[in-house]
Amino acid sequence: MSWKLFELLIQAAFYTVLISAVSIILGLAIGMVVSAATLSRNRAWSLAGRTFVSFFRGAPLLVQLLLIYNLVPALGLDVPSIVAAVTGLSLCTAAYQAENLRGGFQSVPGGLLEAADMAGLNPRQQFWRIRAPIAVRLAFPSLVNEAIMILKASSLVSVVGIVELTRMAQDLAASTYRPIELFAAAGLLYLIINWLVASGGALFERSFRWGRP
Amino acid sequence: MQKRFFLKALVGAAFLVGATAGAYAQDALARVKAAGSLKVGTETAFAPFDFIDAGTHSGLNVDLYGEIGKELGVEIEWVLLPWEGVLPGLEAGKFDIVGGPATITKERMERYRFTPPIAEATVALLKRKGDDTITKPEDIAGKVVGGGKASAQLAQLKAFTETLPGKAEVREYPGNNEAYADLAAGRIVAVGNSLPNIAFVAKQRSDTFEVVQPPFGTKSYFGYPGLKDDDHKSLMDAIEAAMLKIKSDGRLAKLQEKWFGASFETPDLVNDPAL
Amino acid sequence: MNFDTDLIARSLPEIFGAFGITLLMWFAGAIGAALLGFFVAVGRRYGRSWLAVPLWALVEIIRGTPFLIQLFLLYYGGPFVGLSLDPITAGLLGLTVYGAAYFSEIFRGGFEAVPAGHIEAAECVGLTRTQIVRRILMPEMTMLVLPASVNMAIVLLKETAVLSIITVPELTLVISAIGSQQYAFAESLFLLALFYWGLVELAGRLGRFTENRLSKYRFATA
Repeated sequence: MSWKLFELLIQAAFYTVLISAVSIILGLAIGMVVSAATLSRNRAWSLAGRTFVSFFRGAPLLVQLLLIYNLVPALGLDVPSIVAAVTGLSLCTAAYQAENLRGGFQSVPGGLLEAADMAGLNPRQQFWRIRAPIAVRLAFPSLVNEAIMILKASSLVSVVGIVELTRMAQDLAASTYRPIELFAAAGLLYLIINWLVASGGALFERSFRWGRP
Repeated sequence: MQKRFFLKALVGAAFLVGATAGAYAQDALARVKAAGSLKVGTETAFAPFDFIDAGTHSGLNVDLYGEIGKELGVEIEWVLLPWEGVLPGLEAGKFDIVGGPATITKERMERYRFTPPIAEATVALLKRKGDDTITKPEDIAGKVVGGGKASAQLAQLKAFTETLPGKAEVREYPGNNEAYADLAAGRIVAVGNSLPNIAFVAKQRSDTFEVVQPPFGTKSYFGYPGLKDDDHKSLMDAIEAAMLKIKSDGRLAKLQEKWFGASFETPDLVNDPAL
Repeated sequence: MNFDTDLIARSLPEIFGAFGITLLMWFAGAIGAALLGFFVAVGRRYGRSWLAVPLWALVEIIRGTPFLIQLFLLYYGGPFVGLSLDPITAGLLGLTVYGAAYFSEIFRGGFEAVPAGHIEAAECVGLTRTQIVRRILMPEMTMLVLPASVNMAIVLLKETAVLSIITVPELTLVISAIGSQQYAFAESLFLLALFYWGLVELAGRLGRFTENRLSKYRFATA
């Protein structure tokens, strides 16, 4: 395999990383809202939260992406490829992250919240200052796992017109007819990216170990 | 439970809403002219029609649409998607016409309007280089062959194996490229696909593959699918006129020569496909 | 988009056959993955020391690359190194090994989380080693790893769609083939979404049901 082909793969890998990173961060924010809704005492909120998780975890990501890309424009809103890709990935990972965070929220010790009550924090402050940070910290290892999952699942965004790593390997294989070499090279690039994410996550986790409840 | 059913219904309804999209004041041709660009959707894993050559989209379609654009006086704007996203994209109005050729068949003509043919789509076989057990199409009798799922060529290949004395097993792959990979891996002895595609594969990897002559089965042709509705009628008419001009002044034959190494006799229009 | 319900009705027998294959691959793959993952976790925790590095490398390589690429290399690349498997075998092997890497991590977490005090207490009241494993370790660990395992089973279900690239005639391959034959992509997408969503819901409910049944083994973690 020529260096030129490998260079094209590396360029495509850049898209993979960019789209995944943006989606993970957006997904975390959405996931937090969704998990809060799921745990809410308000039945309508909790039902909405659970339905969100059920749909975005249950339907294949490929289908979700095609729905966003092809059907939202029918409602009069233009959806460029990159927006469809990031929206689809964010909503999907939000559903998984919401479940992880739910576990985190449920493990926040009740004593801490009582203490916050006594200190005069209102529910909103309690959520953002106490519950959310602790839940994120508790759910952090699963967050790193989820980031790796999304990096790999991002190969599906090619269906809305983004040429990322897997699609580039497929395209190049379709003109050179050397799929084995190209797929092995793409696999290697995924491995390197994910290894970096995993090591970064482990480093970060160690750095805030002191704050565990 | 109620809520879930509602959501499922919503998804279904969303598909239906798509049907009413495109209810604009002007028709498609006027919009294309006003924008100064024709949006064409295609996939890039279909050499030599569309493929990524050293990082740039190239192939017969790129050249041919370049000529069509000149005739219409508009720029061509490519939208590159995997094949499974192309036709839904067309129906959702993401672009004006499909740039990936499809074999013109009766069934597909019920749903789409095809442009004049751009190349022959008759099926031929690709084999491993130096495989002496297969020298003509009939030699696949009793062996295992493959093709891309749901392609017109696969249907032709299946029909052909029925006529052989020892029936051949036909395996269906999600795409042609997986079938070529399995041919290289040795699980199948031949892949059936259109002659232009196969000739290109054999040229690209002459160390691995070889074409089995001659092509067989019913003669068929590749055309570009577009929408059938009134909104797109004037646009499809204009593209049709442009392509017929490109054909009659010899430009199409030149492009075929460039990308396939040979030119084809194609009819001006396929109104009643044999398939 | 046009929506052709007739098409769906006509293709039902074919679709149910494919549904069966999907279920088969999912069940066999998930059970195989859980078993293999358990042995890998045990091997990494209690096995010989020379096992540690290869098992670690295997788990990391599998977790770090997309299933599509693994499966492609196994099926289409295998014959070049003398490993020529048929689609179903290659699919099951691929799914099992892929899932096992994740399950082994889940079980590793489970082993680490069962408090040593519970085991010591059981030893003190005179339970035998088998009894400790059966009555304490397994139930408590099951409780701990159940949510993550259900999640993983759901991931595996969705990964079975990838088996289409190696020609396993499962739901995605069959439904999208029908779709592209008839050029009815919208219908086939809708149908696929329904099937997978239904199965995922079922798996999720089953998981929660089991979780409730086992809730007596729950203990405070925080």
